[in-house]
Amino acid sequence: MLLRQVVSATRWNQVETLIKVVKEDVGRRLVMAQPRELAVGNIVRRVLRLIREVYNSEVATFDDNSAEDDDKDSNTDDDEKEDEEIKSKSSQKIRTFSFYGGSGTGTNTHSSMINLLGDGSPMGAKRASPLIISELQEMINELENTYVNIIDQAMEHIHSNEIIMTVGKSRTVEMFLKTAAKKRKFSVLVAETFPTYLGHEMALSLSEAGIDTTVISDSAIFAVMSRVNKVIMGTHAVLANGGLISVSGAQMVATAAKHHSKPVVVCTGLYKLSPLYPYDEDSFNDLVAPDPVFSFNEGDLIDKVTLLNPYYDYVSPELVSLFITNTGGHPPSYLYRLINENYDPDDTDI
Amino acid sequence: MDPVKKTAKELKAERRALQERQRAEKAARAAGNAAVPSKKPASGSGASSTVGSTTATSTTATPLSETSGSTKTTDSKQRHSLTKEINNKEINNKQVDMFSHLEITKGANTGLAPKEIHPAILVLGLQFSEFKICGANARCIAALTAFQKVIQDYKTPEGTTLSRHLPTHLSPQITYLVNARPMSVGMGNAIRHLKWEISTIDIEMSDDEAKKLLCEKIDNFIRDSITVADRVIVEYGLQKIQDGDVILTYARSSVVQQLLLEAHTKGIKFKVIIIDSRPRLEGKKLLNCLVNAGINCTYAFLHAVGFAMRDVSKVFLGAHAFMSNGALYSRVGTAMVAMMAKEKNIPVIICCETYKFTDKVQLDSFVMNEQGNPNDIVNISTTLTPKPGLLSEWLNKPDLKLLNLLYDLTPSKYITTVITEVGMIPCTSVPVILREYK
Repeated sequence: MLLRQVVSATRWNQVETLIKVVKEDVGRRLVMAQPRELAVGNIVRRVLRLIREVYNSEVATFDDNSAEDDDKDSNTDDDEKEDEEIKSKSSQKIRTFSFYGGSGTGTNTHSSMINLLGDGSPMGAKRASPLIISELQEMINELENTYVNIIDQAMEHIHSNEIIMTVGKSRTVEMFLKTAAKKRKFSVLVAETFPTYLGHEMALSLSEAGIDTTVISDSAIFAVMSRVNKVIMGTHAVLANGGLISVSGAQMVATAAKHHSKPVVVCTGLYKLSPLYPYDEDSFNDLVAPDPVFSFNEGDLIDKVTLLNPYYDYVSPELVSLFITNTGGHPPSYLYRLINENYDPDDTDI
Repeated sequence: MDPVKKTAKELKAERRALQERQRAEKAARAAGNAAVPSKKPASGSGASSTVGSTTATSTTATPLSETSGSTKTTDSKQRHSLTKEINNKEINNKQVDMFSHLEITKGANTGLAPKEIHPAILVLGLQFSEFKICGANARCIAALTAFQKVIQDYKTPEGTTLSRHLPTHLSPQITYLVNARPMSVGMGNAIRHLKWEISTIDIEMSDDEAKKLLCEKIDNFIRDSITVADRVIVEYGLQKIQDGDVILTYARSSVVQQLLLEAHTKGIKFKVIIIDSRPRLEGKKLLNCLVNAGINCTYAFLHAVGFAMRDVSKVFLGAHAFMSNGALYSRVGTAMVAMMAKEKNIPVIICCETYKFTDKVQLDSFVMNEQGNPNDIVNISTTLTPKPGLLSEWLNKPDLKLLNLLYDLTPSKYITTVITEVGMIPCTSVPVILREYK
């Protein structure tokens, strides 16, 4: 989350179309740093979209007044100052992430770009930058409020004495359930989520909040599903078709829920919604070290065996009933609309 | 729970256990086999472990001497039985609501066993409850062999006949085994068969002859229903494995293991994907066995089943029992594997001997099931050395419960075919087979 805000803070400065290229550079760098972290790319896209929008509207209004050229230089200076302020705020955050290098080079390139602009920028759109900054601030605020917005809907989705199943550990789901627990009494079944045991953490945290929690082994998911009222889970990313990239094991939970006709509710902030399309189930998956599956110190057997330990699972959109996002509840079929709203089609490939 | 109450409870439990032991000892002495010098049970809880072991020897030092090796395990278990008992009580207090009708397997208590329980049965009870012997076939064979010993050591009392009295002698033994761990469907069928054999024995027949006959019948049952049946199933199964197949299997089934090994020796080139699950890790045994035979194996846990299913051409699964409505009752997680296979349109083939068929019907995994020790979930190691995870303090957290189910029910729509010793049948034909062959 934080690094995305950082990204947006460094990003905005160069307003014009030319500079978008630079941004894409920065953005690409960040995305390449961790290609599975789709949210980073999403934020970059949103920022780009925002810049475009502001720029376009400015262009429309300023088309008539051509006398803006003189103001340019003074405006750039102002921009720079503001940039510096925001940067200093965000730099603390930057340091906490290894992305520092990426964003650092970003700032260098953009200052050189400012000079470039001073010479030959085509439009008098400099005026737009304060606007963009304020818009970005708004976006950062929105991101910060994502959880609050999602949690506020908890009461609409959980009734008393319900049995809810969840898998893995998602901060959103955890807070969602805890909020609901303040007013309603219900119980939660947590699948232990094998290689990471995130389910254990989740269960511990929920039970400390006074929620009646039961940990089950992953294998018992199907067996108890018939008594479950709802599956509520978080996700790593949401794809353009409404499919999920989620913790491994989520696919079997969702499939078992579908078999028993139980609704699967996914709690996620909109920033996880990605315009990428999963042409192939594995394109977003990672196989990680198999040590938790089969310990390396178990002798030479390991040399003769192939071990699988996928980190993510792809959950197809047919298995999901509802997305609870910070802008309300949406069915998977509606997501394409949200994508159009939030991203520019030109930015799908960064 | 506050510690003061706990200790009070502890003391109470200890006292009760002590009393019962004394009673058992007295009974043993009264029965006349007090060849062992009986010590006066020392008072105080500190000495209770020694008391425990004395009782164990006095009860187990009955007719058969061959069990002396296993008496040692009995002793050490005895020592833990007290703490275990208290633990069990706490665990039982933290039962999951919807499963509160299923008792958590308590483990056999040899010290409190009635005197007529045969030592072979005592040992077996322990092995069952500790999961030293598990798997439907292994348990059934072990139980029948133990009953053979019981029958060999049996003497018909005056004024009654073997066919009348033997069943009454056997029933407490069976109850003891069931208390150690609920009986599998196959075992139930085998015992029913045994009782029927006993009832058909001619009254005129002498004890020795009758006993010999019964032992023979038991041997026949094991041979016909399990050993030979397995071999026939393997033969049928071989027809379904071809070069280039990728076979997925879950946990460990003895028949599936035999089948895969046999296919390998026949020179069929295929790959195996073994899916395993916590906390039992049975698949690891299978993996060991197949890898040593030189089969190309992939090993993964249940969370990867969706991922692993892409390249699979067939799924072979074992069975614990088959319900009359065509549902498969098997190791927990089987349903999930079958479901994922069905989702990808991969055939699911079950290997099951017909003695595991039952005329019972079941629709969910709740009504009949078994709960394992919830503490197994706490241990997050995948090797033999235990490694307590985050939840080791779960007994002290009032809102936290653990559920360790042992079986689940796979609906018939996920099963493509069942290979039995009478042929390959659709799973809905279970009642037909029951009718035809019983």
